[in-house]
Amino acid sequence: MPSRFVFAVGAILLLAACGGSTPTGNGLGTGALTVGVIAPFTGADAGLGPAYYAACLPAALSINNNGGVGGRMLSCSKFDTRGEPADAVPAANQMVASTSGLMAAIGCTSDEASTVVPIIDRAHIPMFCMTGQSEFNKTPLKYFHRLVPADVYDAYAMVGSALFGPGHAPYKKAALVFGDDIGSQAFVQPATNAFTKLGGTIAINQPIHLGAPSYRTEVQAMLASHPDVIFTEALGSAGTYLKEVKTQNNGQMIPFIGSSATIDPEWFQQVRDAIGLNDLLKYYAGVDLGYTFTGPAYAEFKTNLDASAAQFPDAPKYKQRGSTLHLYDGIIMTALAMVATNSSDPTVYNPKIIDIANGTSGATVVNTYKDGVAALKAGKSIRFEGAGGQNNFNQWNNSQSGYILVGYDKDGGEVRAGELTPDQTSKIFAAGGS
Amino acid sequence: MDLFVAAFGFGLVSMSVIAIAAVGFTMQFGITNMINLAYGEVMISSAYVAYYLNRAGFTIWFGMVAGALFGAVFSFLLNRILYAPFLRKGTSHLGMVIVSLAVSLMIANLLLPIVGYFPVSYQEDPGRLIRWGSIALTRDQFIIIGIAVVLMLAIHALLTYTRLGKAMRATAANPTLARNCGIPTQRVIDAVWLITGALCGLAGVVAALDSDSFAIANGATFLITVLAAAVLGGAGQPYGAMIGAVLIGMITELSAAAWSPQYKEVVAFGILVLVMVLRPQGLLAKRGALAAAG
Repeated sequence: MPSRFVFAVGAILLLAACGGSTPTGNGLGTGALTVGVIAPFTGADAGLGPAYYAACLPAALSINNNGGVGGRMLSCSKFDTRGEPADAVPAANQMVASTSGLMAAIGCTSDEASTVVPIIDRAHIPMFCMTGQSEFNKTPLKYFHRLVPADVYDAYAMVGSALFGPGHAPYKKAALVFGDDIGSQAFVQPATNAFTKLGGTIAINQPIHLGAPSYRTEVQAMLASHPDVIFTEALGSAGTYLKEVKTQNNGQMIPFIGSSATIDPEWFQQVRDAIGLNDLLKYYAGVDLGYTFTGPAYAEFKTNLDASAAQFPDAPKYKQRGSTLHLYDGIIMTALAMVATNSSDPTVYNPKIIDIANGTSGATVVNTYKDGVAALKAGKSIRFEGAGGQNNFNQWNNSQSGYILVGYDKDGGEVRAGELTPDQTSKIFAAGGS
Repeated sequence: MDLFVAAFGFGLVSMSVIAIAAVGFTMQFGITNMINLAYGEVMISSAYVAYYLNRAGFTIWFGMVAGALFGAVFSFLLNRILYAPFLRKGTSHLGMVIVSLAVSLMIANLLLPIVGYFPVSYQEDPGRLIRWGSIALTRDQFIIIGIAVVLMLAIHALLTYTRLGKAMRATAANPTLARNCGIPTQRVIDAVWLITGALCGLAGVVAALDSDSFAIANGATFLITVLAAAVLGGAGQPYGAMIGAVLIGMITELSAAAWSPQYKEVVAFGILVLVMVLRPQGLLAKRGALAAAG
């Protein structure tokens, strides 16, 4: 019996030793750290995952080049949800169960957020999610963070672009062409509410099946409804649909307004190849959060993004992708929170993320991980303003900022076309019911 | 009403695309007894061959020929290198289905790092819109319909009037007896893989051209539609596949006009299930060109 006991104790000690670093409430521990990028890398929304992976790589470089998190180096791991809730659950479980040193998760789009967010939250892993679903507007989940507004605001911004956008008379009749995925359909109701209450009419609401080989009959029905403008987010199928619009409309495009997800290099390339650059520049309008793409935080991001091309050749394409900027900021803020609390225990450093994002009274504003660590070591409290700009988390861990109206330049760069005035914004919000 | 007439016109295009692919698939199965689930990936691989040629400055019509040649050679090699050794070892039908599924996944994953995941388009002006009443089709769409009609007639002529076609039918009906009668069945099977591979490759380019924008994920989508048309018509029956293509192509477009487009595939595959319940052998089983007598 004693020998069995000794064996059992020995085995336990051996397992503990093999387990790598153990999070504690005191000290940053040892061993590598990982950020899990849980998002669609295949499937209809496969364009989203790479944008988020492109956020993680420069954040890891920024942190690792400045000593890591207390000496712990950071790496990024992809977990493919395929954009399907059913596939996302095993991906999330795998990430939580098999990733050592998992310090944060990013991604969790509207496609899978409902299923993966509770799993990640139960594991006490801070996450930064790119979901606009309204169920997270007032979420009690403490480890959930959202750096982008709910979809409802994206939809309102599209309505604002139609009614108050520059260079055109107000559009009065809109076709809603959104993918039949959860994320895209979230725009339909708020856009309908706001647009119709402000005098517009919905010519047709057309949920399209993403990935279908053609949309000829759908396009014919849409054209028969004679819209002035198309509101759209149909990632992966935009090229096919819009090319058929042009073909069936005798080579003429109809103005189309895309959600903030259409500010994406792959979307730009796909639609440009389908309808031609001139028509894309002339007929497309988009909405996006008000980024400046300047300043020390953005410069640091851009330098590390370009350097990430060694690992992910397409990374530099995401230099103006809003979600890439925000998720990059989320990772930096998490690392700073760990340094600030001197802890690798998420239950300890998670609450600090909000302090670092919002700042506390007298906090020193920092724009890079390096400056943040230096300020913390000097005993200062900090507020991190990153590549995506200032953050203002509310009590439900939602950080929101205003929208701008944008277009593309010929190289796929974002061009600011205008912005909504506070009066216009409040009119739309009131009409939409917010 | 105009919308339904227009949808009918679009249905002609859809059924043409499906027919080219489904006839190749069903002939492959009918003669070689092989359910090749890698068919969709060969289609999409051929579409990418045409895409890279198109980007290099060649017309899409040249790309179609190249895609067909690629499909022929690729399918031939797939059989010779991968499928035939398994068949020689006596692998069961189910085993061969799994092998072809594995091959399909391998092709898709080998292709992914080369072509990427994102949709691409051919640089091709589809031509002006030609209107006939409410039907409005582009020059390219008329050409696609024309290609399908010519190919269907050619398949009919091949199976009915040529020595090779008769040898194919004999091999399909009873390969052992055909071999004992002096038909070089191995060469016939090689010819089948080349011909059906060419149809597969051509169908891939035509489907990609018809879609305006395509991605690697479309390989699986193509396969489902092709399988549906082939099964609906009667597995292994080329004429059945043609009828299956007509039904699937028309139903998807007309149902999109009648109801929400979300349901068009539900309606088409619902009818497929209904036919399978009422006539499990498919519409033309035992009546097609490849069927055994009786």
